[in-house]
Amino acid sequence: MTRRIQQVVIVGADAPAWMAAAAFQRSVSAAGTRIRVIELPTLLHPADVYSAFPELAGFHHRIGLDEDLLFSRCKAVPVAGRRFSNWSGAGAPFIHGYDRSPPPAAGLGFTQLWIKGRQKGLRTDFENFSLASVAAKAGRVPSGTGDAELHAAFGYNLDARAYSALLRQFAKSGGVESKAATIAHVETEGDQIKAVILDDGERVEADLFVDASGPRGALIGRMPGADFESWRDWLPCDRMLVASAKGLKPLPAFSQISAFRHGWIGLFPLQDRTAVVAAYDGSETSDQALLADLPALANMPIGGDAVVSDLNQGIRRRAWVGNCVAIGESAFSLEPLDGAQLHIVHYCISQLMTLFPVKTGLFPEADLYDRILRRLGGNLRDFQLAHYKLNRRFDMPFWDGRRDASVPETLQRKLDVFTARGRVPLYDDETFQELDWESLFIGHGLMPQSYDPRVDAIPEQEHIAQVQARMNDIVGLVEGMAPVDDFIAGVNPRQAAEAKAVG
Amino acid sequence: MSEPLDIVILGGGTAGWMAATALTSLIPPTRCRVRLIESEEIGIVGVGEATFPEIRNFNDAIGIDEAEMMRATKAAFKLGIQFVDWGFKGSRYIHPFGVHGPVGMDHIFHHRWLRARGLGSKRDIQDYSFAAQAARDCRFDLPETRGTDIESAYTYAYHFDAGLYAAYLRDLAERRGVVRTEGKVLNVVQDPETGDIRSLVLESGETISGDLFIDCSGFRSLLLGKTLGVGWEDWSKWLPCDRAFAVPSERDELSPYTRSTAMEAGWRWRIPLQHRTGNGYVFSTSFINEDEAAASLMRGLEAKALADPRMLKFQAGRRLVNWEKNCVAVGLAGGFLEPLESTSIYLIQAAIMQLVPLLPGKIVDPRLRDEFNRLIDLQYERIRDFLILHYKLNRRDDAEIWRYAAAMEVPDSLTRKIELFRHSAIIERYRDGLFPPTSWLSVFIGQGLIPESYSPLADTIPGESLIFHLDAFHADLLDRVGEMRRHDRLINLYCGAELSGAPTATEMRP
Repeated sequence: MTRRIQQVVIVGADAPAWMAAAAFQRSVSAAGTRIRVIELPTLLHPADVYSAFPELAGFHHRIGLDEDLLFSRCKAVPVAGRRFSNWSGAGAPFIHGYDRSPPPAAGLGFTQLWIKGRQKGLRTDFENFSLASVAAKAGRVPSGTGDAELHAAFGYNLDARAYSALLRQFAKSGGVESKAATIAHVETEGDQIKAVILDDGERVEADLFVDASGPRGALIGRMPGADFESWRDWLPCDRMLVASAKGLKPLPAFSQISAFRHGWIGLFPLQDRTAVVAAYDGSETSDQALLADLPALANMPIGGDAVVSDLNQGIRRRAWVGNCVAIGESAFSLEPLDGAQLHIVHYCISQLMTLFPVKTGLFPEADLYDRILRRLGGNLRDFQLAHYKLNRRFDMPFWDGRRDASVPETLQRKLDVFTARGRVPLYDDETFQELDWESLFIGHGLMPQSYDPRVDAIPEQEHIAQVQARMNDIVGLVEGMAPVDDFIAGVNPRQAAEAKAVG
Repeated sequence: MSEPLDIVILGGGTAGWMAATALTSLIPPTRCRVRLIESEEIGIVGVGEATFPEIRNFNDAIGIDEAEMMRATKAAFKLGIQFVDWGFKGSRYIHPFGVHGPVGMDHIFHHRWLRARGLGSKRDIQDYSFAAQAARDCRFDLPETRGTDIESAYTYAYHFDAGLYAAYLRDLAERRGVVRTEGKVLNVVQDPETGDIRSLVLESGETISGDLFIDCSGFRSLLLGKTLGVGWEDWSKWLPCDRAFAVPSERDELSPYTRSTAMEAGWRWRIPLQHRTGNGYVFSTSFINEDEAAASLMRGLEAKALADPRMLKFQAGRRLVNWEKNCVAVGLAGGFLEPLESTSIYLIQAAIMQLVPLLPGKIVDPRLRDEFNRLIDLQYERIRDFLILHYKLNRRDDAEIWRYAAAMEVPDSLTRKIELFRHSAIIERYRDGLFPPTSWLSVFIGQGLIPESYSPLADTIPGESLIFHLDAFHADLLDRVGEMRRHDRLINLYCGAELSGAPTATEMRP
């Protein structure tokens, strides 16, 4: 007998588990499905940070979470993008900004104009034509630029534990039941989970189990066919360190990712501190040596809360097996180089919502979910991998090796077509859009050899005028944006008052 | 500045003149010079008098005035395709150019409709499509292009005389600098080392050399197929029709939709134009002989025939690549898919609009070529699967072709789509290529595949409230359709072939 899904159990911890709980509570529970969270011990440390894309605002809007709480409770700092430095030897740093400009209807984007301009001697760097990048450099928060042609938004740096706590409180106040426990045993029959047995002996049954336990894959790891496929051959970092450093004043409007001899160091400004993340190749340097080098690499004193962990990048061969669905890092896992961690969780939740099983028993939705996640994962992996592939740090074995290594066909095609013509082939389930890839490629010094021939139909004077107009528009828009500290200060007092009123 | 690229287009007709017009309109003469060779002795296939809405992007890009083009080609508007007798004998549905339900709700609307159906609602899914409803009532107005109003819930295409469209483009192309040469190709000269095409030798003795050759020679595929030997991938096991008879008849009802009626060995089309109605029978000689097919076509005409039926031979499939060495196929030289969803002209357009941004230099960059071929493959495969769906999803037991089609093995990509929809009404989206979920939905439901279940997300509002909202939406939709003008009157006003200086599109908005 099959029937509607009546009970969903989410097994996991931290933001992924509570994001899923809040989202399902807002949607399927209204259709009569019960949502329960088995809360595993946290994987977070005090120094941890979540660095999220602007789209997180959309998620908060859908679940009904007041954005102001991020600033008053989660030490949130709005950021316009990521600044990549030291990836290209003597080359200048660049910013990958959170631009959200829609591609032009005729398919002839500004990038093509810029490529021709560059060939004709234009000196201005590509990032100066990105609204988000210019805002980031000016320390301003892109907000309220609803203009159709030029639009940018801000992402968030969030204190990971505070954000998880906020979501937990939000989900529970919305009626999600939960229990803190560890798993003693998982009872399976074929590819179905019959029950999860907790450490106190409770036997938890459900029609659908959602694994939001992070890289440990508490449930999915026990399912047939869901073994882990490592991306280590492509992405070399296998150790990750997080720590805190003092806060920055004034707050910058970007996070910084700097390459160093054995990997990269990320600095993520928060309101009261700077989260420091290092990802590196453990066979190149020891944890102790890295920690000793860190203050010099980060150019600031490092606090005593440093924690090191393994970094296993890769993807499960299947993310939905029987009645068990993995979301976020339980499904696939990437270093936080481009800040996709919460995005992956969000995307998985959206897909699971769209593909929410109509009844118990067989789940033909699983195959599509798996295919979507493999595409999403592959595209994200390619984006991150491009940083390594395009590095220009010479005479360092780690970096020379990355530059010489072959990359997946999907990325090679992007590199080839971009090099040839300045266009980026996009596939299904791409997180990053054309402008993102373009700023990545150009930022790392990859210059197209030719441009779209339609550009030559634009008379030279008009071409120059368009390029100039875009710069002027951006400067004008950025002038109207608030500096980060003002932006946060503007949010805080109102929020404090409201929080008090709610009690 | 380097010398401009010399582009030689072989073949006039729709493909050749669309390519010529686009290249010469979008790319300045400093970058390319376009020549076109055609022979008046070789007839054109003139595929597809029915188009897909994407044609409007093409026309806009090359700077065509809609009303002028419609007058010149005796065109009418098209809001979708009506399929008669496809899923089962007596069935009838419209694949509309627009969403079902409110704009922006297409991810959930059909789930809600399924639920309402379970609650006793009798309305068909098409009753919630603005385009389908307007089509059925033979009404048309130009849609609003902004906002999420009901008026932006649809788009449209044209029925036109493809021969006149080619002639219209030829005039435009020649005025914009395309050099036309009359003549037949006697010989193709290739580079002995690279195999690249260097020049075409005409019967007149003239030699026309070029850097890039665009093969618009139709089914003969003179350059890509015959000269360069690019192989053919045969898809006729899935799409068995291999002939068509076409015949014009006197104008009757000017309905703003194409009609496709399933027949004993294929299907027949009806395409209303301003001055006549195009008719045709696409059939498979495995299931009927030519004479019987012609007789069947003539018997079914609703108005007096204006000529004798003309026959075309074809096979479904495509060339293994559409760009090989310095030769790109556009149109039938690269592949053929029957005009069941009016995609022939769309495929021409897709090839051209993907070639323009990837246009090579004097030496072909293989990276550009490979990307072009990848995109064209996607286009063909997505249309192929969608066409096969119409055949596969039938429950007719009255003719051999339908029994064959219902039982045949189809590509895995299609089987997965059908099974997932059957189970849970889910439709997979994709980025490139034609047919959004709403198109798949209309064929699935229209041909009788009612899902076993729907998304629980459709259960989140109370049943009475759901029915209330659907009723209100439907009533609103009927009101709005009622306010539209009759299609034939609008045509006379906007682009009647005998008119000149008709009002502009903006003036036409009610």
